[in-house]
Parts: sequence; C-alpha cells; structure tokens
Amino acid sequence: MKHEVLCRPAASIVRFWMETGEQITCEAGSMIAMSQGLTVETTTRTRGGGGVFSGLRRMLAGESFFLNHFTAQQSGQSLLLGPALLGDVLHHPLIAGGLIVQAGSWLASTRDVQLDTSWQGFAKGLLSGESLFWIKCTGIGDLYLSSYGAIYSVDVDGEYVVDTGHIVAFDETLQFELSKASSTWLQSFLGGEGIVCRFRGKGTVYCQSHQFSSLGYMLGPMLRPRRG
Amino acid sequence: MDVQIRNRPSFAHLMVRMNPGDRMVAEAGAMASMDPSVSMHARWNGGFFGAIARRVVGGESLFVNDFIATAPGHIVLTQPVPGDIACVDLQGQSLFLQPGAFLACEPTVRLSVSWAGFASWIGAEGLFRLKVQGVGRVWFGAYGAIFSREVDGHYVVDSGHLVAYDPTLSLHVGASGGIFSTLMGGEGLVSRMRGRGRIYLQSRSLTGLAAWTNSHLYA
Repeated sequence: MKHEVLCRPAASIVRFWMETGEQITCEAGSMIAMSQGLTVETTTRTRGGGGVFSGLRRMLAGESFFLNHFTAQQSGQSLLLGPALLGDVLHHPLIAGGLIVQAGSWLASTRDVQLDTSWQGFAKGLLSGESLFWIKCTGIGDLYLSSYGAIYSVDVDGEYVVDTGHIVAFDETLQFELSKASSTWLQSFLGGEGIVCRFRGKGTVYCQSHQFSSLGYMLGPMLRPRRG
Repeated sequence: MDVQIRNRPSFAHLMVRMNPGDRMVAEAGAMASMDPSVSMHARWNGGFFGAIARRVVGGESLFVNDFIATAPGHIVLTQPVPGDIACVDLQGQSLFLQPGAFLACEPTVRLSVSWAGFASWIGAEGLFRLKVQGVGRVWFGAYGAIFSREVDGHYVVDSGHLVAYDPTLSLHVGASGGIFSTLMGGEGLVSRMRGRGRIYLQSRSLTGLAAWTNSHLYA
C-alpha cells in the first residue's frame, strides 16, 4: 500500500493506493472520498480484539465509538482521509514498541496495528492539558496521526520539555512527569507556562505547533451568549 | 543563534537554535517546547508601570520570558492564533506593534509601551501600542498572512488588520466613505495612516472570524 500526505500543514489529507485485500482502519467520519472497489465495515474494535467496551474506552480517549474499516476488493483503489479540524497529518511507521497518542490525534492505521486505551493517571491526564485516557498503539504497521497546527518531531536523548497541550504522541520508551518550566514555580506561572511536561529517556516525541484552545480563549469573549 | 520561521503562513512558529550564552526574549506563554539546557526567567514586560498599564488597558500579558542557553539547544516559540510570523532587523530605528502582535526579540531590542491615542482606540486598534527599539531582530505574528506596504502620503486600513507600523506614520480614525457606505458597506471605521513609512497588515481579522461565527451560532 502506498500513501501520500498532501496539503501540509494547514489542510492536510492522506491519500492511499490500495491493492486487493489491503485494509485501512480509521476514525468514523474521516473519509473524504474513495473509489468504488472498497468495502466499508463499521465496528467497535480493531483486529486485535475488543468489543463494545473498547469502543466506550476509546470514546473516553476522545476518539469515535465506531471505527470504519476500508478493504480493497480490487487492485488500484484509492482512499482519501482527513481530520475535521485544520491542521497537520503525520505518518509514523510502527515497527517495535508502542506509541502513546494524545486523545483525538489518532486518524487511521493499517490492519495489524492494535489500539488500546491507556490510563496516564489523574494528575498527568488533567494537568497535562490532554485527556485522562490516551491511545496506545502497538503492533507492526503504519499509523497516521492528525493535529491542529503543524506537527514537528523531536528525538529525545536525555531530557526534553514540552508545554502542556502541545503533545501529539510519544514513544513508549519515554517517561514523562509534570514539572515547572523555570527554576521556581512562581517564575513558571508568571512566564505564562505554568506546568510543563518533562520527558526522560530515549525516543521520539511529536509536538503540535499550535493549540486550538488558545484560539478559543481569544475568540470566546467576542462571541455572543446564548439567549434565554 | 539561528532562528527559522517554519510552516509559513498558516501555522508559523519559530525554531530557535541556541549556542551557550545566547539569549532570546519572548512573549509570556509562547514556548511550545524546549531543551532543558535552556533556562527560562520571567520579567516585567516594558517595566513595572508599563506592564501594569498594558495589562489593565490593553489586556496584554504582564511578563515576558528571558531564555538563556547554558549548552547547545533549541526552543520552539509559537503564537495563539493560526497565521504568519514576520521578522524585522532593527538598525537603531523603532517600530510600533499592535496589541498581541509581539512574539520575540533579541535581548538588545528594548520593549516599551507607548500611548497610541484615542483615535487608535476608537478605530479598535487599542489605547496603547508596544514600541520596539534598538539593534537586533524582532519577530511578530498575525492571524492570517502578513504583508507589508510602503506608505507615502495617505493609506487606509480596515480596523483589525493593522499589525505593525513605522513611528514616522501617524494614525487617524475615519469613515471609509460616506455615511451609507460606512454603515452598510461592512467596513465601518477605518484607520487612516499618514506620513512616510512601512506598515504590516494581516490578511484576516479575529473580529471577522467572530462575526462570521456569531452569525452561525444557535441558528
């Protein structure tokens, strides 16, 4: 299966060329267009297993309850997928070890990638500016992530600091803890950073350049309130 | 220090690669990620009184951050709105930045707050503006793409589209045309720039986005 990510970073989509029997699993509602020789199956689970409960858990992690599986019945089929928001799409080849993905950033994956919900703990979930549940992707295959803003990757060897709300995904080999951005907590809050995420270990972390909530905070006061 | 503006114009952000001893000043909250070899310190934005004035009247942040590299490393700086970032290399001259436009500057650039006047306020451009002055690079951002024009004489800018301008230009508020076109033409009040100098404009305005969103709410 060949793929191409087009129109980066503001209006990104991913295009697949699929041969007979090849399959893409994606978030419900992300299909933009497809050729005729593809069948769609809607379930709550990936090939790795799971049922209704894995669907519910995935909802807690900010993803859709249902997943769509697109399977090519003939060769030379094409499929176009895109996220709802403006932003980037990134391809991550999953070879060994898992990738922890922020809620809402998983877009699609190939057949042999399993999705599971990962609990990061109350403090990390609430204070990191992300969700309580994260998606853990394991197996061998291709993974497609999406995010508001541009996505950039950083190879961490030792330590790296990411502001809350800017994490897209990170290798399972990395540990992270909540920390301050400056030498003191006061300095960190005065400087507008507050709590940051400090990654330790060796692996890749994917960050998003912008945050939708920042635009929301600016736009919110300019919107008219609901009447009645 | 090597600074790159990446992903222009829709999701522009700064990749700042620093060597030991390099310093960078950035707007509070602008840091998206950084190496731990760079340390961050908050300080008053444009002095104590200037910071208070900007906060109370202009609704801007009280603090800016000083980033100092102790070993080679990078920081990524970003802005809250999707859009472009421009860089101006100051050679002793100064530049006025509209509220919220400032992103970062080299430590040799001085930040101060100056009174913009009631004309600016009536034109929805704010009572205060940030003045950047000195020798060094300054980066500012906008919602939408940034483009610049050389003004000689008169130039009219719709309110909410002005990002930065040379101090050689004066800002006056005015109607876009006659009474009918001012009220019905969707332009309302406009800023009239007079003098000789460069202005920087943004291709979109947040008030435009807010107006469009409002018209689609609770329908």
